[in-house]
Amino acid sequence: MESTDKLVCVVGRDPLPAVTHLESGERLHLTLIVPEGVSCERALEFHLDGPGASLDLAGAWRCSGSEKVKLQVIVRHNAPGCHSEQLFKGVVSGSARAEFDGLVYVAPGAVKTDAHQQCHSLLLSEGAFCEARPQLEIYADDVQCSHGATTGYLNPEELFYMRSRGIPEEEARAMQVEAFLAPVLNRSL
Amino acid sequence: MSDILLEIKDLHAGIEGREILKGVNLTIRRGEVHAVMGPNGAGKSTLSAVLAGRPDYKVLSGSVTYAGRDLLAMPPEERSWAGIFLSFQYPVEIPGVSITNFMKAALNARRKAAGESELKPAEFLKLLKEKMALVQMKGEFAKREVNVGFSGGEKKRNEIFQMAMLEPVLSILDETDSGLDVDALRIVADGVNRLRTPSSASIVITHYQRLLEYIVPDVVHVLKDGRIVTTGGRELVDLIEKQGYDGIDG
Repeated sequence: MESTDKLVCVVGRDPLPAVTHLESGERLHLTLIVPEGVSCERALEFHLDGPGASLDLAGAWRCSGSEKVKLQVIVRHNAPGCHSEQLFKGVVSGSARAEFDGLVYVAPGAVKTDAHQQCHSLLLSEGAFCEARPQLEIYADDVQCSHGATTGYLNPEELFYMRSRGIPEEEARAMQVEAFLAPVLNRSL
Repeated sequence: MSDILLEIKDLHAGIEGREILKGVNLTIRRGEVHAVMGPNGAGKSTLSAVLAGRPDYKVLSGSVTYAGRDLLAMPPEERSWAGIFLSFQYPVEIPGVSITNFMKAALNARRKAAGESELKPAEFLKLLKEKMALVQMKGEFAKREVNVGFSGGEKKRNEIFQMAMLEPVLSILDETDSGLDVDALRIVADGVNRLRTPSSASIVITHYQRLLEYIVPDVVHVLKDGRIVTTGGRELVDLIEKQGYDGIDG
Protein backbone atom coordinates (compact mmCIF):
# COMPACT_ATOMS: atom_id res chain seq x y z
CA MET A 1 0.00 0.00 0.00
CA GLU A 2 2.94 2.33 -0.52
CA SER A 3 1.65 5.67 -1.58
CA THR A 4 1.96 9.34 -0.95
CA ASP A 5 -1.61 9.71 -2.20
CA LYS A 6 -4.41 10.34 0.21
CA LEU A 7 -6.30 7.08 0.40
CA VAL A 8 -9.87 6.74 1.61
CA CYS A 9 -11.36 3.45 2.73
CA VAL A 10 -15.08 3.20 3.30
CA VAL A 11 -15.67 0.23 5.58
CA GLY A 12 -18.21 -2.14 4.05
CA ARG A 13 -17.32 -1.01 0.52
CA ASP A 14 -13.55 -1.01 0.10
CA PRO A 15 -11.24 -3.95 0.90
CA LEU A 16 -8.57 -3.34 3.48
CA PRO A 17 -5.83 -5.79 4.51
CA ALA A 18 -5.79 -6.81 8.16
CA VAL A 19 -2.07 -6.06 8.33
CA THR A 20 -0.26 -3.35 6.39
CA HIS A 21 3.55 -3.22 6.33
CA LEU A 22 5.45 -0.03 5.72
CA GLU A 23 9.08 -0.43 4.69
CA SER A 24 11.92 2.04 4.94
CA GLY A 25 10.85 5.55 4.01
CA GLU A 26 7.35 4.51 2.96
CA ARG A 27 4.45 6.80 3.71
CA LEU A 28 0.76 6.03 4.07
CA HIS A 29 -2.00 8.61 4.38
CA LEU A 30 -5.24 6.74 5.01
CA THR A 31 -8.72 7.82 6.08
CA LEU A 32 -11.19 5.20 7.31
CA ILE A 33 -14.87 5.97 7.14
CA VAL A 34 -17.65 3.97 8.76
CA PRO A 35 -20.81 5.49 7.29
CA GLU A 36 -24.16 5.61 9.00
CA GLY A 37 -26.05 2.34 8.56
CA VAL A 38 -22.99 0.10 8.83
CA SER A 39 -22.34 -2.19 11.77
CA CYS A 40 -18.87 -3.68 11.79
CA GLU A 41 -16.09 -5.21 13.80
CA ARG A 42 -12.61 -4.71 12.42
CA ALA A 43 -9.08 -5.29 13.62
CA LEU A 44 -6.38 -3.48 11.68
CA GLU A 45 -2.64 -3.54 12.14
CA PHE A 46 -0.03 -1.22 10.74
CA HIS A 47 3.60 -2.29 11.05
CA LEU A 48 6.25 0.35 10.55
CA ASP A 49 9.02 -2.08 9.70
CA GLY A 50 11.63 0.12 8.02
CA PRO A 51 13.43 3.17 9.38
CA GLY A 52 11.71 6.47 8.64
CA ALA A 53 8.35 4.95 7.66
CA SER A 54 5.39 7.22 8.23
CA LEU A 55 1.71 6.58 8.90
CA ASP A 56 -0.95 9.28 8.89
CA LEU A 57 -4.18 7.55 9.86
CA ALA A 58 -7.61 8.99 10.60
CA GLY A 59 -11.04 7.54 11.01
CA ALA A 60 -14.61 8.70 11.41
CA TRP A 61 -17.73 6.81 12.31
CA ARG A 62 -21.36 7.81 12.49
CA CYS A 63 -23.45 5.24 14.32
CA SER A 64 -27.17 5.57 14.78
CA GLY A 65 -30.15 3.36 15.56
CA SER A 66 -28.94 0.15 17.12
CA GLU A 67 -25.71 -0.11 15.11
CA LYS A 68 -22.52 -1.47 16.62
CA VAL A 69 -19.09 -0.43 15.50
CA LYS A 70 -16.00 -1.99 17.00
CA LEU A 71 -12.62 -0.94 15.74
CA GLN A 72 -9.27 -2.18 16.93
CA VAL A 73 -6.18 -0.48 15.59
CA ILE A 74 -2.67 -1.59 16.39
CA VAL A 75 0.27 0.47 15.23
CA ARG A 76 3.63 -1.24 15.71
CA HIS A 77 6.79 0.78 15.52
CA ASN A 78 9.33 -1.92 14.72
CA ALA A 79 12.12 0.30 13.39
CA PRO A 80 13.81 3.51 14.51
CA GLY A 81 12.78 6.99 13.40
CA CYS A 82 9.22 6.17 12.30
CA HIS A 83 6.31 8.53 12.64
CA SER A 84 2.64 7.72 13.25
CA GLU A 85 -0.23 10.15 13.63
CA GLN A 86 -3.76 8.93 14.41
CA LEU A 87 -7.00 10.88 14.73
CA PHE A 88 -10.35 9.18 15.25
CA LYS A 89 -13.68 10.91 15.61
CA GLY A 90 -17.00 9.22 16.19
CA VAL A 91 -20.58 10.41 16.48
CA VAL A 92 -23.03 8.05 18.19
CA SER A 93 -26.79 8.49 18.43
CA GLY A 94 -29.89 6.44 19.23
CA SER A 95 -28.92 3.35 21.16
CA ALA A 96 -25.86 2.67 19.02
CA ARG A 97 -22.52 1.51 20.45
CA ALA A 98 -19.06 2.42 19.30
CA GLU A 99 -15.90 0.89 20.73
CA PHE A 100 -12.39 1.84 19.85
CA ASP A 101 -9.23 0.03 20.94
CA GLY A 102 -6.03 1.71 19.95
CA LEU A 103 -2.63 0.29 20.74
CA VAL A 104 0.64 1.95 19.90
CA TYR A 105 3.50 -0.51 20.39
CA VAL A 106 7.10 0.64 20.27
CA ALA A 107 9.49 -2.30 19.91
CA PRO A 108 12.89 -2.49 21.58
CA GLY A 109 15.35 -0.54 19.47
CA ALA A 110 12.70 1.63 17.78
CA VAL A 111 14.35 4.79 19.05
CA LYS A 112 13.32 8.26 17.81
CA THR A 113 9.78 7.01 17.45
CA ASP A 114 7.22 9.81 17.10
CA ALA A 115 3.70 8.44 17.73
CA HIS A 116 0.50 10.27 18.55
CA GLN A 117 -3.06 9.06 18.82
CA GLN A 118 -6.32 10.85 19.59
CA CYS A 119 -9.88 9.58 19.79
CA HIS A 120 -12.81 11.92 20.30
CA SER A 121 -16.44 10.90 20.61
CA LEU A 122 -19.65 12.86 20.45
CA LEU A 123 -22.81 11.37 21.93
CA LEU A 124 -26.12 12.65 20.60
CA SER A 125 -28.49 10.77 22.89
CA GLU A 126 -28.77 9.39 26.38
CA GLY A 127 -28.89 5.83 25.07
CA ALA A 128 -25.78 6.12 22.90
CA PHE A 129 -22.64 4.44 24.16
CA CYS A 130 -19.00 4.79 23.33
CA GLU A 131 -15.80 3.57 24.79
CA ALA A 132 -12.25 4.44 23.78
CA ARG A 133 -9.33 2.47 25.12
CA PRO A 134 -6.08 4.02 24.00
CA GLN A 135 -2.95 2.14 25.02
CA LEU A 136 0.75 2.72 24.76
CA GLU A 137 3.37 -0.02 25.11
CA ILE A 138 6.86 1.36 24.89
CA TYR A 139 10.02 -0.74 25.01
CA ALA A 140 12.50 1.79 23.65
CA ASP A 141 14.12 4.94 24.98
CA ASP A 142 14.20 8.34 23.36
CA VAL A 143 10.68 8.31 21.93
CA GLN A 144 7.88 10.85 21.71
CA CYS A 145 4.48 9.30 22.28
CA SER A 146 1.11 10.68 23.32
CA HIS A 147 -2.50 9.65 23.35
CA GLY A 148 -5.77 11.22 24.35
CA ALA A 149 -9.47 10.43 24.38
CA THR A 150 -12.50 12.61 25.05
CA THR A 151 -16.24 12.05 25.11
CA GLY A 152 -18.79 14.84 25.01
CA TYR A 153 -22.29 15.95 24.17
CA LEU A 154 -23.37 18.75 21.84
CA ASN A 155 -22.98 22.06 23.56
CA PRO A 156 -26.40 23.57 24.42
CA GLU A 157 -24.92 27.10 24.42
CA GLU A 158 -23.83 26.65 20.81
CA LEU A 159 -27.21 25.23 19.92
CA PHE A 160 -29.09 28.18 21.41
CA TYR A 161 -26.73 30.67 19.77
CA MET A 162 -27.39 29.11 16.35
CA ARG A 163 -31.14 28.93 16.92
CA SER A 164 -31.22 32.56 18.04
CA ARG A 165 -29.87 33.40 14.57
CA GLY A 166 -32.72 31.51 12.92
CA ILE A 167 -31.05 28.16 12.27
CA PRO A 168 -33.60 25.45 13.14
CA GLU A 169 -32.64 23.03 15.89
CA GLU A 170 -32.17 20.00 13.62
CA GLU A 171 -30.01 21.93 11.18
CA ALA A 172 -27.97 23.45 14.01
CA ARG A 173 -27.27 19.94 15.37
CA ALA A 174 -26.31 18.71 11.90
CA MET A 175 -23.90 21.63 11.49
CA GLN A 176 -22.30 20.86 14.84
CA VAL A 177 -21.88 17.19 13.90
CA GLU A 178 -20.40 18.13 10.54
CA ALA A 179 -17.99 20.54 12.22
CA PHE A 180 -16.98 17.84 14.68
CA LEU A 181 -16.18 15.30 11.94
CA ALA A 182 -14.67 17.82 9.52
CA PRO A 183 -11.02 17.40 10.62
CA VAL A 184 -11.24 13.75 9.51
CA LEU A 185 -13.61 14.05 6.55
CA ASN A 186 -11.95 17.08 4.98
CA ARG A 187 -8.38 15.89 5.21
CA SER A 188 -8.57 13.69 2.12
CA LEU A 189 -10.10 16.43 -0.04
CA MET B 1 -51.02 48.70 12.16
CA SER B 2 -50.42 49.38 15.82
CA ASP B 3 -47.11 51.05 16.46
CA ILE B 4 -46.66 48.94 19.60
CA LEU B 5 -43.98 46.39 18.77
CA LEU B 6 -43.45 44.70 22.13
CA GLU B 7 -45.65 44.52 25.17
CA ILE B 8 -44.48 42.77 28.31
CA LYS B 9 -47.12 42.35 31.00
CA ASP B 10 -46.41 41.29 34.58
CA LEU B 11 -43.61 38.96 33.53
CA HIS B 12 -42.28 36.59 36.15
CA ALA B 13 -39.40 34.36 35.08
CA GLY B 14 -36.34 32.64 36.41
CA ILE B 15 -33.86 29.83 36.16
CA GLU B 16 -33.35 26.64 38.16
CA GLY B 17 -36.39 27.31 40.32
CA ARG B 18 -35.22 30.80 41.28
CA GLU B 19 -37.52 33.71 40.40
CA ILE B 20 -35.46 36.57 38.98
CA LEU B 21 -37.99 38.72 37.12
CA LYS B 22 -40.76 39.61 39.54
CA GLY B 23 -43.38 41.40 37.51
CA VAL B 24 -41.84 43.31 34.59
CA ASN B 25 -44.05 45.63 32.52
CA LEU B 26 -42.63 47.22 29.38
CA THR B 27 -44.13 48.66 26.20
CA ILE B 28 -41.95 49.42 23.20
CA ARG B 29 -43.11 51.23 20.07
CA ARG B 30 -41.58 51.07 16.64
CA GLY B 31 -38.81 53.61 16.13
CA GLU B 32 -37.87 53.74 19.80
CA VAL B 33 -34.64 52.95 21.58
CA HIS B 34 -35.13 51.83 25.18
CA ALA B 35 -32.30 51.57 27.67
CA VAL B 36 -32.64 49.08 30.50
CA MET B 37 -30.15 49.92 33.22
CA GLY B 38 -29.59 48.40 36.59
CA PRO B 39 -27.10 46.98 39.05
CA ASN B 40 -25.62 43.52 38.74
CA GLY B 41 -28.11 40.79 39.52
CA ALA B 42 -31.16 42.98 38.81
CA GLY B 43 -32.39 40.60 36.09
CA LYS B 44 -31.19 42.44 32.96
CA SER B 45 -29.69 39.39 31.30
CA THR B 46 -32.65 37.24 32.36
CA LEU B 47 -34.93 39.66 30.53
CA SER B 48 -32.88 39.37 27.35
CA ALA B 49 -32.66 35.57 27.68
CA VAL B 50 -36.44 35.23 28.10
CA LEU B 51 -37.12 37.49 25.10
CA ALA B 52 -34.76 35.45 22.91
CA GLY B 53 -36.20 32.14 24.15
CA ARG B 54 -33.30 30.57 25.99
CA PRO B 55 -34.56 27.08 26.91
CA ASP B 56 -33.09 26.99 30.43
CA TYR B 57 -35.03 30.09 31.52
CA LYS B 58 -38.61 29.44 32.56
CA VAL B 59 -41.49 31.87 32.38
CA LEU B 60 -43.61 31.53 35.53
CA SER B 61 -46.42 33.93 34.61
CA GLY B 62 -47.24 36.99 32.56
CA SER B 63 -47.28 37.60 28.82
CA VAL B 64 -45.11 38.96 26.05
CA THR B 65 -46.78 40.10 22.84
CA TYR B 66 -44.52 40.83 19.87
CA ALA B 67 -46.00 42.31 16.70
CA GLY B 68 -49.37 40.93 17.75
CA ARG B 69 -48.05 37.40 18.39
CA ASP B 70 -47.57 35.43 21.59
CA LEU B 71 -43.78 35.57 21.74
CA LEU B 72 -43.45 33.05 24.57
CA ALA B 73 -45.05 30.33 22.43
CA MET B 74 -42.42 30.68 19.71
CA PRO B 75 -39.13 28.66 19.64
CA PRO B 76 -35.92 30.73 19.36
CA GLU B 77 -35.53 30.23 15.60
CA GLU B 78 -39.06 31.47 14.93
CA ARG B 79 -38.39 34.55 17.03
CA SER B 80 -35.37 35.21 14.84
CA TRP B 81 -37.41 34.79 11.67
CA ALA B 82 -39.94 37.25 13.09
CA GLY B 83 -37.20 39.85 13.48
CA ILE B 84 -35.89 39.47 17.02
CA PHE B 85 -32.14 39.65 17.48
CA LEU B 86 -30.15 39.24 20.68
CA SER B 87 -26.61 40.54 20.78
CA PHE B 88 -25.08 38.18 23.36
CA GLN B 89 -23.20 39.47 26.37
CA TYR B 90 -20.91 36.47 25.95
CA PRO B 91 -20.94 35.46 22.26
CA VAL B 92 -20.54 31.70 21.84
CA GLU B 93 -17.68 30.03 19.99
CA ILE B 94 -18.70 27.51 17.34
CA PRO B 95 -15.59 25.52 16.39
CA GLY B 96 -15.51 24.24 12.83
CA VAL B 97 -18.28 26.50 11.52
CA SER B 98 -17.15 29.47 9.44
CA ILE B 99 -18.88 32.84 9.67
CA THR B 100 -19.80 32.50 5.99
CA ASN B 101 -21.52 29.14 6.48
CA PHE B 102 -23.13 30.27 9.71
CA MET B 103 -24.69 33.35 8.14
CA LYS B 104 -25.65 31.49 4.97
CA ALA B 105 -27.52 28.90 7.06
CA ALA B 106 -29.19 31.64 9.12
CA LEU B 107 -30.33 33.73 6.14
CA ASN B 108 -31.50 30.77 4.09
CA ALA B 109 -33.43 29.24 7.00
CA ARG B 110 -35.30 32.50 7.39
CA ARG B 111 -35.97 32.75 3.65
CA LYS B 112 -37.19 29.16 3.59
CA ALA B 113 -39.55 29.88 6.49
CA ALA B 114 -40.90 32.85 4.51
CA GLY B 115 -41.38 30.69 1.41
CA GLU B 116 -38.55 32.39 -0.47
CA SER B 117 -35.78 30.75 -2.49
CA GLU B 118 -32.19 30.56 -1.23
CA LEU B 119 -29.91 33.52 -1.84
CA LYS B 120 -27.70 33.18 -4.90
CA PRO B 121 -23.99 32.93 -3.97
CA ALA B 122 -23.20 36.26 -5.62
CA GLU B 123 -26.03 38.03 -3.80
CA PHE B 124 -24.93 36.53 -0.51
CA LEU B 125 -21.30 37.60 -1.00
CA LYS B 126 -22.32 41.13 -1.89
CA LEU B 127 -24.43 41.37 1.26
CA LEU B 128 -21.64 39.86 3.37
CA LYS B 129 -19.09 42.40 2.17
CA GLU B 130 -21.45 45.30 2.61
CA LYS B 131 -22.25 44.36 6.21
CA MET B 132 -18.65 43.58 7.08
CA ALA B 133 -17.73 47.09 6.01
CA LEU B 134 -20.30 48.45 8.45
CA VAL B 135 -18.35 47.03 11.40
CA GLN B 136 -14.96 47.47 9.73
CA MET B 137 -14.23 43.77 9.34
CA LYS B 138 -11.65 42.74 6.75
CA GLY B 139 -11.86 39.99 4.10
CA GLU B 140 -10.39 37.09 6.12
CA PHE B 141 -13.05 37.58 8.81
CA ALA B 142 -15.74 35.64 6.94
CA LYS B 143 -13.55 32.55 6.72
CA ARG B 144 -12.84 32.40 10.44
CA GLU B 145 -14.67 30.00 12.73
CA VAL B 146 -17.47 31.76 14.59
CA ASN B 147 -15.94 33.63 17.54
CA VAL B 148 -13.07 31.14 17.88
CA GLY B 149 -9.96 33.01 18.97
CA PHE B 150 -11.71 36.37 18.66
CA SER B 151 -10.76 39.21 20.98
CA GLY B 152 -13.53 40.70 23.14
CA GLY B 153 -13.93 43.59 20.70
CA GLU B 154 -14.04 41.29 17.67
CA LYS B 155 -16.76 39.19 19.29
CA LYS B 156 -18.96 42.23 19.85
CA ARG B 157 -18.33 43.53 16.35
CA ASN B 158 -19.28 40.08 15.09
CA GLU B 159 -22.58 40.37 16.97
CA ILE B 160 -23.33 43.70 15.28
CA PHE B 161 -22.25 42.26 11.94
CA GLN B 162 -24.78 39.43 12.39
CA MET B 163 -27.38 41.98 13.41
CA ALA B 164 -26.69 43.88 10.18
CA MET B 165 -27.00 40.69 8.13
CA LEU B 166 -30.33 39.75 9.73
CA GLU B 167 -31.81 43.28 9.75
CA PRO B 168 -33.87 42.74 12.90
CA VAL B 169 -37.08 44.53 13.82
CA LEU B 170 -36.34 44.31 17.54
CA SER B 171 -32.71 44.18 18.57
CA ILE B 172 -31.71 43.48 22.14
CA LEU B 173 -28.17 44.49 22.98
CA ASP B 174 -27.15 42.71 26.18
CA GLU B 175 -24.18 44.51 27.76
CA THR B 176 -22.71 45.06 24.33
CA ASP B 177 -20.37 47.65 25.83
CA SER B 178 -18.73 45.29 28.33
CA GLY B 179 -15.12 44.62 27.51
CA LEU B 180 -14.93 47.16 24.70
CA ASP B 181 -12.31 49.84 24.32
CA VAL B 182 -13.40 53.26 23.06
CA ASP B 183 -12.60 52.56 19.42
CA ALA B 184 -14.53 49.29 19.35
CA LEU B 185 -17.37 50.95 21.24
CA ARG B 186 -17.61 53.64 18.54
CA ILE B 187 -17.62 51.05 15.75
CA VAL B 188 -20.34 49.04 17.48
CA ALA B 189 -22.49 52.09 18.34
CA ASP B 190 -22.06 53.51 14.86
CA GLY B 191 -23.22 50.19 13.38
CA VAL B 192 -26.27 50.09 15.63
CA ASN B 193 -27.18 53.70 14.85
CA ARG B 194 -26.95 53.14 11.11
CA LEU B 195 -29.26 50.13 11.38
CA ARG B 196 -32.02 52.17 13.03
CA THR B 197 -35.21 52.47 11.00
CA PRO B 198 -38.64 54.00 11.75
CA SER B 199 -40.20 50.54 11.91
CA SER B 200 -37.61 48.88 14.15
CA ALA B 201 -36.79 49.27 17.82
CA SER B 202 -33.95 48.44 20.20
CA ILE B 203 -33.49 47.50 23.82
CA VAL B 204 -30.07 48.50 25.07
CA ILE B 205 -29.19 46.68 28.29
CA THR B 206 -26.30 48.17 30.15
CA HIS B 207 -24.80 48.68 33.55
CA TYR B 208 -23.01 51.90 32.64
CA GLN B 209 -23.99 55.15 30.99
CA ARG B 210 -21.02 55.02 28.60
CA LEU B 211 -22.72 53.24 25.67
CA LEU B 212 -25.71 55.58 25.95
CA GLU B 213 -23.51 58.53 24.99
CA TYR B 214 -23.22 56.88 21.59
CA ILE B 215 -26.61 55.18 21.27
CA VAL B 216 -29.04 57.78 22.54
CA PRO B 217 -32.16 56.26 24.11
CA ASP B 218 -35.69 57.66 23.90
CA VAL B 219 -36.77 55.93 27.10
CA VAL B 220 -34.69 54.80 30.07
CA HIS B 221 -35.77 52.14 32.57
CA VAL B 222 -34.13 51.16 35.80
CA LEU B 223 -34.42 47.48 36.66
CA LYS B 224 -33.83 46.57 40.29
CA ASP B 225 -34.51 43.25 41.97
CA GLY B 226 -36.56 41.95 39.07
CA ARG B 227 -38.82 44.97 38.63
CA ILE B 228 -38.70 48.19 36.66
CA VAL B 229 -38.61 50.79 39.45
CA THR B 230 -38.29 53.98 37.40
CA THR B 231 -38.88 55.04 33.81
CA GLY B 232 -37.85 58.34 32.34
CA GLY B 233 -36.02 60.13 29.57
CA ARG B 234 -32.31 60.35 29.02
CA GLU B 235 -31.93 62.67 32.00
CA LEU B 236 -32.30 59.53 34.12
CA VAL B 237 -28.92 58.38 32.81
CA ASP B 238 -27.24 61.46 34.28
CA LEU B 239 -29.07 60.99 37.56
CA ILE B 240 -27.80 57.40 37.82
CA GLU B 241 -24.33 58.62 37.00
CA LYS B 242 -24.49 61.12 39.87
CA GLN B 243 -26.38 59.11 42.50
CA GLY B 244 -25.74 55.48 41.60
CA TYR B 245 -28.46 52.85 41.63
CA ASP B 246 -28.86 53.07 45.41
CA GLY B 247 -30.28 56.56 45.07
CA ILE B 248 -32.98 55.40 42.68
CA ASP B 249 -35.98 53.54 43.95
CA GLY B 250 -38.87 55.06 42.06
